[in-house]
Amino acid sequence: MNHDPFQWGRPSDAHYGNYNKKIAEASPYPKMNTQQPIVTGTSVISMKYDNGVIIAADNLGSYGSLLRFNDIERLFPVGKNTVVGISGDISDMQHLEYLLEDIQTENNYDNQYANEEEALKPSYVFEYLSNVMYNRRSKMNPLWNAIIVAGIEDGKPFLSYVNLLGVTYSSPSLATGFGAHLALPLLRKVVDDESDVEKTSIESAKAAIIESMKVLFYRDARSSRKYSLAIVDKDEGLIFEKGLQVENMAWGFAKDIRGYGTQKV
Amino acid sequence: MAGLSFDNYQRNQYLTCSTNTKAQATSTGTTIVGVKYDGGVVIAADTRSTQGPIVANKNCAKLHKMAPKIWCAGAGTAADTEEVTKLIGSNLELHSLYTSREPRVVAALQMLKQHLFKYQGHVGAYLIVAGVDPTGAHLFSIHAHGSTDVGYYQSLGSGSLAAMAVLESKWKQGLTREEAIELAADAIEAGIWNDLGSGSNVDVCVMEIGKDAQYLRNYRTPNVREPKQQSYKFARGTTGILSERVLDICQVEEQTVDIELEA
Amino acid sequence: MASTVASEYSNEVKNVPIEHQFNPYSDNGGTILGIAGEDFAVIAGDTRNTTDYSINSRYQPKVFDCGDNILFSANGFSADGDALVKRFQNSLKWYHFDHNDKKLSLKSAARNIQHLLYGKRFFPYYVHTIIAGLDEEGKGAVFSFDPVGSYERSQCIAGGAGASIIMPFLDNQVDFKNQYVPGSHGTERRKAQYLTVDEVIKLVRDAFTSATERHIHVGDGLEILIATKDGVRTEYFPLKRD
Repeated sequence: MNHDPFQWGRPSDAHYGNYNKKIAEASPYPKMNTQQPIVTGTSVISMKYDNGVIIAADNLGSYGSLLRFNDIERLFPVGKNTVVGISGDISDMQHLEYLLEDIQTENNYDNQYANEEEALKPSYVFEYLSNVMYNRRSKMNPLWNAIIVAGIEDGKPFLSYVNLLGVTYSSPSLATGFGAHLALPLLRKVVDDESDVEKTSIESAKAAIIESMKVLFYRDARSSRKYSLAIVDKDEGLIFEKGLQVENMAWGFAKDIRGYGTQKV
Repeated sequence: MAGLSFDNYQRNQYLTCSTNTKAQATSTGTTIVGVKYDGGVVIAADTRSTQGPIVANKNCAKLHKMAPKIWCAGAGTAADTEEVTKLIGSNLELHSLYTSREPRVVAALQMLKQHLFKYQGHVGAYLIVAGVDPTGAHLFSIHAHGSTDVGYYQSLGSGSLAAMAVLESKWKQGLTREEAIELAADAIEAGIWNDLGSGSNVDVCVMEIGKDAQYLRNYRTPNVREPKQQSYKFARGTTGILSERVLDICQVEEQTVDIELEA
Repeated sequence: MASTVASEYSNEVKNVPIEHQFNPYSDNGGTILGIAGEDFAVIAGDTRNTTDYSINSRYQPKVFDCGDNILFSANGFSADGDALVKRFQNSLKWYHFDHNDKKLSLKSAARNIQHLLYGKRFFPYYVHTIIAGLDEEGKGAVFSFDPVGSYERSQCIAGGAGASIIMPFLDNQVDFKNQYVPGSHGTERRKAQYLTVDEVIKLVRDAFTSATERHIHVGDGLEILIATKDGVRTEYFPLKRD
């Protein structure tokens, strides 16, 4: 008997000639699913205020450094009191959009309470998304996104973050990507602590978000002037503002700057 | 031979590969800013220096004097910012003596960028240079590879985005001296709270046309440590003395002089 | 992407292509510690969550009361930490269903956690896990685990970013390591004795304010969970936010 286990259970060489090993051996690249983002959306920024939450994202889809699409909506309402903001890969975002539509259909189908006590709450949506994200990363096939779920739950503002690694956290102000570096310092000036939330009005919160979108447009090379903003208010419900523009920019100083050092003209 | 020595370059390269360790320099994380105002310029810095995730110095000084009225805030490799600032500062003084004129900020800028360009980014100094000279108040930033930038406000270091966010949203034309100081300090504070590479206190230096430079060390101290919950003083003898040996390290000579007798 | 790698003979510089792959882990900072007293045990953790040089949240609790007087914390990669806590809480629930609401002893919880961790031996939960509570005799107990499930019981342990700063302090102040009886000239060790809850809380607060001073991933807030025979109690103290 041939004692090499590799030879067991296959036609003997003596009878059938050399065995074609390629049949048994796996390809050098068994499965490709590690990826990189292709068309991307930049930051999503958000904050709580006394009566709800505000979330904003611009409408640009970048293809590397090319401004490829300029009318992409990255804010998705889920039911009446949740908005999901997504940054990162746009195709993965559209897959997530499909998943969100799917859970809404599932929840609403043949359900007379779907608009009341069995309506989807922000925490349900977040729990679902964070499980999707963590499971995909655990299969080494991530959805290349950072997501913010904003909404109202039991009369209180809800705000949580999850990304391609399945890392989750909550804070009175949250931002993805560049927003975490440029917008958060400004938003935290308004709500640094959970106790600051009840002292913050919708007006001051909205002003901080609009100001942050301006700073992001100044300094994030992958951002656009056009953006959307959504508010989930305890009394007013969901307010979705599309097609907003960064306004009141300061360019007056630019005409006085010459060159990069000693230049005079 | 003039210039820096690269004798150990190959050895270090080998060591990096074969031992998986690298000689690491102090401080890459920092927040520094500069703001111009009507009649002068102000620069500011945080005071944290780090080695990886460990805080190496809680109150270090990142504002360097290059000439009496030209100051420089440094981010990047601590040793490089220190040395390049000292070197160019010395050359600036020699140049000022030779020409019998006050040193100019553009001269400092040109000497720094030419030096840094020569070393192709290996001298890891990221600087904000500011000062007043006979031509007015000036503010520049320089990157380690030698590129420079002009502007009414500048920020550099790992906290530069946090600081720049504040500058972009609060800066306006025609600031007063006090407004400029507060804006610069606020920008540094954004770095202190939001960037883990920055922390502790705010240092400020104000350079006003026609006045001496004002160095305001620890202008703000928003991070004073609370007192500890208890004392950790050990009872004497807690560390046992196993053996004792006294060495005569220096020769001591004694001479007694009777003053009364001498008189 | 290619990178320059110097070989043993440095003039022989090679151009080696470096494979770019998805990295399923990240370091979310923070630090935790557990101390066992005579009739109580605590786990304390800071509430800061970070990635690189950014603060994700200033208040993101990572020490949990799982029921049955079991305190639980898994520090490191926070997605794995959260997943592990959920898996343990679920396991505990099933234990109650299957065994008529029987209380899970701390040592059984520890063994269960070992299996949860080792079950992912070749794709580990990237966390340092600590659990605490009371043992079968009612004495304070702390168990700590490495990422793949090796565990031991100890009087005190620190885990996470600030562990190497805090652990020597705990050795000295809880186990009285390197302390000798005055006058014995280093021959008689200072005798071990239990600390009171108040003494432990003081030590924990000083350990965390010190780690906050010197470690950039530690800070914002300190949450201490205390397990006694009367149940679990929580205390919160603010830490520096820079």
